[in-house]
Amino acid sequence: MDLAWYAALGLFFASYLVLAGYDYGVGLLLARGVGPAGRREALTALGPFFLGNEVWLVAAMGILFGAFPLLEGELLAGCYPAVAGALVGVILVTVGVQLRSRPDEERIRARWDRVVVIGSALAALGWGVLLAALLQGVPLQADGHVAGVTHLATPFAAAAGLAMVALVAVHGATFLTLRLPAEAAAVVGRTARRLVPVALTAVALTTVVGLLSARVRDAVQRPAVAVLLPVLLVAALLAARAALARRRPGWALVATGAALALPVLLVGAALWPYVLVSTTDPDASLRVADAAASAPTLRLLGWVALPLLPALLGFQAMCWWVFRGRTDGRAPVYW
Amino acid sequence: MDTLLLARLQFATTTSIHFLFVVVTLGLVTLLVGMQTAWVLTGNPKWERLTRYWGQLYVINYVLGIATGIVMEFQFGLNWSGLSRYVGNVFGAPLAIETLVAFFLESTFLGMWIFGWHRLGKGVHLALLWGVAITAYASAFWIMVANSWLQNPVGYEVRDGIAHLTDFGALLTNPSLGMAFGHVVSAALLVGGMLMAAVSAGHLIRRTPDFALFRTSLRIGLVTAALAITMVQGFGFAQFGPVGAVQPTKFGGNGPESQALIAEWTTRFGPGDYTPPVLASVGLGFMILIGFTLGCVWLLLPLLFRDWVIRLRFPLWLILLALPLPFIAVILGWISREVGRQPWVAYGLLPTEQAVSPVSAPLMLASLIGFSLLLGTLAVTNWVLLARHARRGAADPALGRPPAPSSEPAHPEPALL
Repeated sequence: MDLAWYAALGLFFASYLVLAGYDYGVGLLLARGVGPAGRREALTALGPFFLGNEVWLVAAMGILFGAFPLLEGELLAGCYPAVAGALVGVILVTVGVQLRSRPDEERIRARWDRVVVIGSALAALGWGVLLAALLQGVPLQADGHVAGVTHLATPFAAAAGLAMVALVAVHGATFLTLRLPAEAAAVVGRTARRLVPVALTAVALTTVVGLLSARVRDAVQRPAVAVLLPVLLVAALLAARAALARRRPGWALVATGAALALPVLLVGAALWPYVLVSTTDPDASLRVADAAASAPTLRLLGWVALPLLPALLGFQAMCWWVFRGRTDGRAPVYW
Repeated sequence: MDTLLLARLQFATTTSIHFLFVVVTLGLVTLLVGMQTAWVLTGNPKWERLTRYWGQLYVINYVLGIATGIVMEFQFGLNWSGLSRYVGNVFGAPLAIETLVAFFLESTFLGMWIFGWHRLGKGVHLALLWGVAITAYASAFWIMVANSWLQNPVGYEVRDGIAHLTDFGALLTNPSLGMAFGHVVSAALLVGGMLMAAVSAGHLIRRTPDFALFRTSLRIGLVTAALAITMVQGFGFAQFGPVGAVQPTKFGGNGPESQALIAEWTTRFGPGDYTPPVLASVGLGFMILIGFTLGCVWLLLPLLFRDWVIRLRFPLWLILLALPLPFIAVILGWISREVGRQPWVAYGLLPTEQAVSPVSAPLMLASLIGFSLLLGTLAVTNWVLLARHARRGAADPALGRPPAPSSEPAHPEPALL
């Protein structure tokens, strides 16, 4: 039962990174100097999907609170700056995108767009640091609390945060290549291909720093899974580049999406059966089974979630289907 | 300043800002459902224009509702890790259900509704708005289930110092839930009705074009506000019974039941100050005062006859000036409900000081200042935008604007008809 809920938590958070990941990628790419019309065009491409993307984060947090209450408190409070930073980023993006076109003045819209760029960077950075914090362990003490927040300040966490920024940028550019009208798509497709080596470099750097870090080596329970992570990431990025070169943006988006889902799934698998590994007291490490809510709660949530899941996925799929294809002159403009 | 006080201040700030936006969301979406349904049934373009105008204000307001709501959700883990540690097994369940059943679908539907004009069939487009409204009410319900559990913990047993769920049904039949849910929902309708009446009054005072349009929304707003204030008062006074029974200390610790409960707590948890701050009773008193004042909306209803409410003009000014009152009242109501629960986070079960995260005071202070400034700035910006769009009138809202004619081949077909 707790394994099923742990998998559900992973799937919802991974889906959030995949879906909102291109929001943040498009947000970052607002900084690429395409002028007011180009920025509006990019936001129109996000259009109907934007509101349906970040709800995956809210649902993941709901599952975290309902099914893993102990983990919720310790993870969020124990990694306070990373979570708060990501949260500020999420807020800036959600407000910026939705309000930027309400004023008519181009000057004010440009200012809101800078807010979106900063928010996108913060969100990606924050989630990257949080995933790194899991992989490098936290100073969990015998009383069950994480001591301080300075444990976050490591080269590995910094590298992972930057790698996440690079990954969402590639993902966002690939999304635009799929969604924008053909001419604009060709331009942003070249940007996407140029960003792939940047992401590869960031992933390689993170891997090297991680391998050199004693904390990461100690915390990882399944080294084979942990090694698989960078290998699969590199493979996904190369596949994306190849698909972009062959003008298959759909497949490229699948590949960049996989690159954002993989870290969540493999970090979870590499730490199993633990979810928080203590760097100070091996006995204090928190197992998934101990972090989970008690059986009656999980059963109740199961009865609620199981029949609901088809509806959640069905209405999201309806949104993707209704608004599929490249944007054109008839695409509704609101953001 | 200690971490506990800072965390409480942050919770109060975030919750208050959040609530100012979600009452408008809940109230306006109900009225929007009525307007768009009227449009689909009658085909009268007036209803389409009303839906677009009020829909645009609704969507702008919704932005801050989500933004502050996400902060609320994270705040439990960031600042109140003890809450999830000791009572998360029970308290977490309704919150998890809220995100999955309600919020997830609400936002998904709303995204399709905003971008679905001229793209989806009229019936599907209307169904989406109904979906938004129903999930919004479901959201309010589950949040109230969770909040009522903090007011009056039920359906659990404590093993090894941790609460475990034993009877989920008890959470749904909690005496502190039913009337409070009715009270909050009516308050949202009151706010929605008053907002609609006040914005319309503003246009009628300035004699802007679209007299017929704003005359209609003034009437809808006033009738809604009148019905809602009566429900607010009814559900409000109906709460005194159940609240007095399950939370005797809420409005002071002098009654015999309060004294008995405090004596029991003193033996179980040790001596301490178990009476809530006086702010709870003060908030309640002023809220009731505002509630009676707003009851005067009924006096305006006879003036709807032959548009006397517009022709006399001064009633329009009264409506406009009264707009802040329902907002102040809902904040006072929450202060009285939440402060009246102190010194407990879960009444009689978990003291607030045990629920706060073991985070250093400087970090909590930085978080308080940072998030308060951020959300405060965004809230003010949002209100300025709302006021501007409300003032601009219904000539051509961006929401639902038909796409510009283009020489490119049109999109193949409306995807769902």
